[in-house]
Amino acid sequence: MDYNWNFASVFTYWNVLATGLWGTVQLFVICSILGLGGGLVMGMLRYSKSRWISYPAMLYVEVFRNTPVLVQIIWFFFALPVLTGIEISPFMAAILGITLNTIAFSAEVFRGGIQSIEREQWEAGKAIGMSYAQSMRRVILPQALKRMLPPLTSRGIEVFKMSTLASVVAYPETLQQAKLIASYEYNPIEAYTVVALMFFIVLLPLLQLTYLLERRFGKSDA
Amino acid sequence: MHEWDFTATLADMDLLMLGLWNTIQVFFLALAFGIPLGLGLALGRMSRIPVLSQLCSFVIEFFRTTPPLVQLFWFFFALPILISVQMTPFVASVLTFSIQSSAFFAEIFRGGINSIDKGQWEAAKAIGMTRKSSLRRIILPQAVKRMIPAFAERSIELLKTTTLISTVSYADLMFQANELASKTFRPLEVYTVVAIMYFFLILIFSQLTIRLEYRLAKTGEGTLR
Repeated sequence: MDYNWNFASVFTYWNVLATGLWGTVQLFVICSILGLGGGLVMGMLRYSKSRWISYPAMLYVEVFRNTPVLVQIIWFFFALPVLTGIEISPFMAAILGITLNTIAFSAEVFRGGIQSIEREQWEAGKAIGMSYAQSMRRVILPQALKRMLPPLTSRGIEVFKMSTLASVVAYPETLQQAKLIASYEYNPIEAYTVVALMFFIVLLPLLQLTYLLERRFGKSDA
Repeated sequence: MHEWDFTATLADMDLLMLGLWNTIQVFFLALAFGIPLGLGLALGRMSRIPVLSQLCSFVIEFFRTTPPLVQLFWFFFALPILISVQMTPFVASVLTFSIQSSAFFAEIFRGGINSIDKGQWEAAKAIGMTRKSSLRRIILPQAVKRMIPAFAERSIELLKTTTLISTVSYADLMFQANELASKTFRPLEVYTVVAIMYFFLILIFSQLTIRLEYRLAKTGEGTLR
């Protein structure tokens, strides 16, 4: 264990890492907004009473939940261009893979949340003359969202971590940039340790938030 | 429009099957090490000794907040230099995924143990059991049943995360697919076949766990009603 740690060799390239972090944040913001928004829509389709709507939605969710994200990203990057003739950038491939995956996972969270609301709430909404869409928006979703907050926050953490997979198609996010530094400076220990710490520091508050939300909203209807 | 042609892919199916086998090996080894380690971390975190509990919390939180790919790179590229041992992709993968999944299993164990009614602990104490034996004989058997769905979900996550080991050149299914795609120049067919293989592998696994849940539901308390 007499290794000489030399973090200076990483920090001289701080701008390279900053570019990477910016790439990670971009992926995270785009994929979580599209993924959670799409997940809400997909979750409601999945909950629909018509089989013509709920079955295709179920198929979508199952396909994307039961295949690895890495396979999806690589499929979009290498296979989709062959099929459609459209060149896809690493950024687009990563966005497609991570977003479609997040839609599938968050759809299940939304569906579970909507289902967990007692039927009387629907009936009460109907009794005062609300349409299906109105009761969903004004009565059901506001209550369901509270219960869904902890799992949705965990999903957000997953999306942030998943963004590292974009490095396999050479999109310059944090890990990809650390790989570059490690291959210039032969300092994999320091480079990867710094990246691990960066993720830890960014995500620890979010993880603590999930604990807090679980205590606050997890069980009761406070 | 592209003309689908699976002949080249199917001709080399044995390569993909070998990859599948390697994937399954890493998956089961990581489960075998990860679950006991997770139980240990969970018990440590719930321990009344502050140092132990804080240490276990830190390990769990660190491995939950860092991306598995970063962990894998660290164990594969950094650890060997630090402790000067030879690291094979296989050992690095098993090591990474055992520890990574143990952090998640620990949280499942903790949730399951906490979900057991306090009266059960008191009842065990009343008939003279120590904390340790009530945990083993009363609490865990009940808690484990409730944890099965969460375990299944986490194991499926683990199975999907094993695709990352292709990046350190371990010949898992994903790695073999990359090889085959560059050999046959047919990425569309190769990656489609591989996606289907993963889909069915995970489908079979999740069906097995659903069956297990039904069996446990029959013998009393379970999550299914």
